[in-house]
Amino acid sequence: MTDHDTVDHTGPCGCSSGSECAGGVCGPAPAAPSLPGRPAGQGRGIFDKELLDRCISCGFCLPACPTYALTGQEPSSPRGRITLMRALEAGDLAPDDPTLAEESSFCLGCRACETVCPAGVEYGQLLEQWRDHQWSGRNRPWIARTLMMLVSRPGLLRLQGLVRRHARGPGEKAGPRPAAPAPSSGEPPQQPVSLMLGCVERGLYPRVSRAVQRLCPEADVPAAQGCCGALHAHNGDSATGGKLARRLGEQLPGTILTTAGGCAAHLAHHLGRDRVRELSQYLDEKGHRPAGQVMVDGRRARAALQDSCHLRNGLGVTRPPRELIAAVADYVELPSAGKCCGAAGTYSMLRPADSKKVLDPKLSEVEAADVDYVVAVNPGCLRQLEQGLRRARSRAKAIHLAEFLALAAQPEPGRPGPAPRADGPKEP
Amino acid sequence: MAVGTDLARDLAGIVGDDHVRIDEGALTAYSRDATPLFHARPQAVVLPGSTEEVAAVLRYATAHGIPVVPRGAGSNLCAGTVPLSGGIVLVLTRLDKLLEISSEELLARAQTGVTTATLASAAAAKGLLYAPDPGSHTVSTIGGNVATCAGGLRGLKYGVTRNYVLGLEAVLPTGEIIRTGGRLWKDVAGYDLTRLLTGSEGTLAVITEATVALLPAPAETGTGVAYFDTLADASRAVTAVIAAGVVPATLEFLDRKCIQAVEEFAGLGLRKDAGALLLFGDDGSADNVEDNLARIGNICQANGALEVTLAENVARAEALLAARRCSLPALSRLGSLTILEDATVPRHRMAAMVDRIDRIADQYDLRIATFGHAGDGNLHPTCVLDPDDDEGADRAHLAFAEIFAAAIELDGTITGEHGVGAAKLPYLTDRLGDDQVALLRRIKKAFDPAGILNPGKLGS
Repeated sequence: MTDHDTVDHTGPCGCSSGSECAGGVCGPAPAAPSLPGRPAGQGRGIFDKELLDRCISCGFCLPACPTYALTGQEPSSPRGRITLMRALEAGDLAPDDPTLAEESSFCLGCRACETVCPAGVEYGQLLEQWRDHQWSGRNRPWIARTLMMLVSRPGLLRLQGLVRRHARGPGEKAGPRPAAPAPSSGEPPQQPVSLMLGCVERGLYPRVSRAVQRLCPEADVPAAQGCCGALHAHNGDSATGGKLARRLGEQLPGTILTTAGGCAAHLAHHLGRDRVRELSQYLDEKGHRPAGQVMVDGRRARAALQDSCHLRNGLGVTRPPRELIAAVADYVELPSAGKCCGAAGTYSMLRPADSKKVLDPKLSEVEAADVDYVVAVNPGCLRQLEQGLRRARSRAKAIHLAEFLALAAQPEPGRPGPAPRADGPKEP
Repeated sequence: MAVGTDLARDLAGIVGDDHVRIDEGALTAYSRDATPLFHARPQAVVLPGSTEEVAAVLRYATAHGIPVVPRGAGSNLCAGTVPLSGGIVLVLTRLDKLLEISSEELLARAQTGVTTATLASAAAAKGLLYAPDPGSHTVSTIGGNVATCAGGLRGLKYGVTRNYVLGLEAVLPTGEIIRTGGRLWKDVAGYDLTRLLTGSEGTLAVITEATVALLPAPAETGTGVAYFDTLADASRAVTAVIAAGVVPATLEFLDRKCIQAVEEFAGLGLRKDAGALLLFGDDGSADNVEDNLARIGNICQANGALEVTLAENVARAEALLAARRCSLPALSRLGSLTILEDATVPRHRMAAMVDRIDRIADQYDLRIATFGHAGDGNLHPTCVLDPDDDEGADRAHLAFAEIFAAAIELDGTITGEHGVGAAKLPYLTDRLGDDQVALLRRIKKAFDPAGILNPGKLGS
């Protein structure tokens, strides 16, 4: 009785990744004839066998999963979904099975399950492969298709260039800056740092990138840079996702600095962890001491953090953003700070009702904690929190960490600010 | 599937449309639990929201002769919740209210679907201890713990689930709701049905609520580690510790293969030349803990320990405990088909048993590493295989049959805490004998005349 566990990743066409031809050449084709009496070891080639085999079905992931918390039903748990993936791979479920379609879409992709998994299952990778199959071609939700087109078409990229200039700040010249001066303390010369202008920031939050430039004047802002491909990888096109990540790696020299936890995790997966730093991680490593403090009504602000799932669960970065916030405000840990806010990339657009259900308990926590700010380290989370807090008529304001730190360094209008420090960020 | 549709309609009439699943995907997801190599699809999955709904589903199933498999979190390791005969998987996780924690009476009352960790942390918040701590406590449910009489790391000093169950609410397969025991430590009115249902693995009744005993939480905990040349040395030290009148809260061991796997996986700095690692810990008042740990350390040294380390702080203790916690993850990386068993022998025969396990593993050319609870002789021989290795799985099957036989020969048992389920039913007669198995069947018949509850498991 081992057919669940005996899968092979090689499809009938000989492809091994599944990402290019899943659902096309080797996806549905072998399904019907191979259902009964299928020879052991034959799989559909949708999943990387080694990744799929890792799960020991212990169920330790169940309490970590936000969608399992919503339904209480096994198919919407990580273990249940892996059982579904195995059945898909083995041919025990039809490729167009409605539960497969629903569950691959219902999953937030937050990867909270990975942090509690004793067997080291790389669930995020499995989900990418699953969506490559489920969302191939016309099966991809149109919103995802549109967004992916927006960020990857050359013509539209040019259009975005206009926005990008906005994000790059007034007076910035295109082209690389002169290399950062070597630190005076005699340390070895540092790698160049390139600020990545994420797709969402460019469109919605150019002020975030501008704030980073004030905090990290040493960072270059190359004009020619594309999308990192996380959007593609999470929406059923992991091959393009990888390609875009590698291309961005070529476009941005040295350490890639990003204000998006999601992009950081995706780039780190494809380029290696050494190449990528999320903002809080970067500031922490360079020993940045935030200047000033954030004041509200003449008192020090109370601020909470919303972790970025992929930053926390994918890269294990949790301490730096908390310490940075605590340096400039009274830090308040929300009980669910480490749990998904429901933004989950395109999820809030694709499944708004579920996204809201995931977010709502957090909004109540924000009210109970009576904070002035909820700080995000990923633009998707920022947008989700902004909208949710507005809907809840909360007095709390959502803000990106970069803006929050820049705000601290700024004197409050009408009040003398703290004395600027020699190493403090420059004011615009 | 016309039958499926009728079934779904009837069940939806009881629990509502949202709480019945008959789609192939859901049936697939509920076709297995945490046990490898066992799976079978049910015809329907039902998630009742109240004891009355459980009763209505059971009455319906008895009337129609449909098998019902009660399920909590599905974290058991004995295929106890695999619906081998199809039918209905009755998922009890919606019954998840923690009803009461009483400091005055030292007890807690919880619906069946409350997780062990939820109950334990609610008790801890009131300065109380729910002692049973199965490895799966973050996910496992109280109902599942009672149904399998779950054990844990603290078995020697604190006992197992059965030592804490004061009363149960349960539904008979014929639909009657019974309450056994209650809030009393002393109550001998009638057969002890509370204990009979504890460990009955969903074959006699469906547990819907449990009243469990709590203890005052100990003030301090402490941990230490000792390395030995051989497991026999470690085993002698354990026996000497207990003979000296010390009953530690924790006494865990890793064998040589486990130490090596953990070290290669986690790089904790364990001694790879050691044949056994003994992790010991105690709780109580600060003085008592310090005193006991020192005594255990001395006794280990007197029994040939290569090295003894006492954790001077919580962080260090956590680092030591990591070795035990890493055992399964480390082993699962050697081969993702991980067959984890729990043959159990009297404490003083632990070394002999591990020796037998090693010889059986060699004979069948299998990788079997053993860790477990040295205090109560509860061993976890863990066989790791490549998932595609069907032939290896066959050999593992034969090897485990010999391991169970060896455990019985050494006055032990086929399962200490995981349960019989479908996985160990073939070995049950070897352990109990024909007369007891026949009695089990008569008991099963008295509770479940139609034979609908979890067929193919205990009592079948």
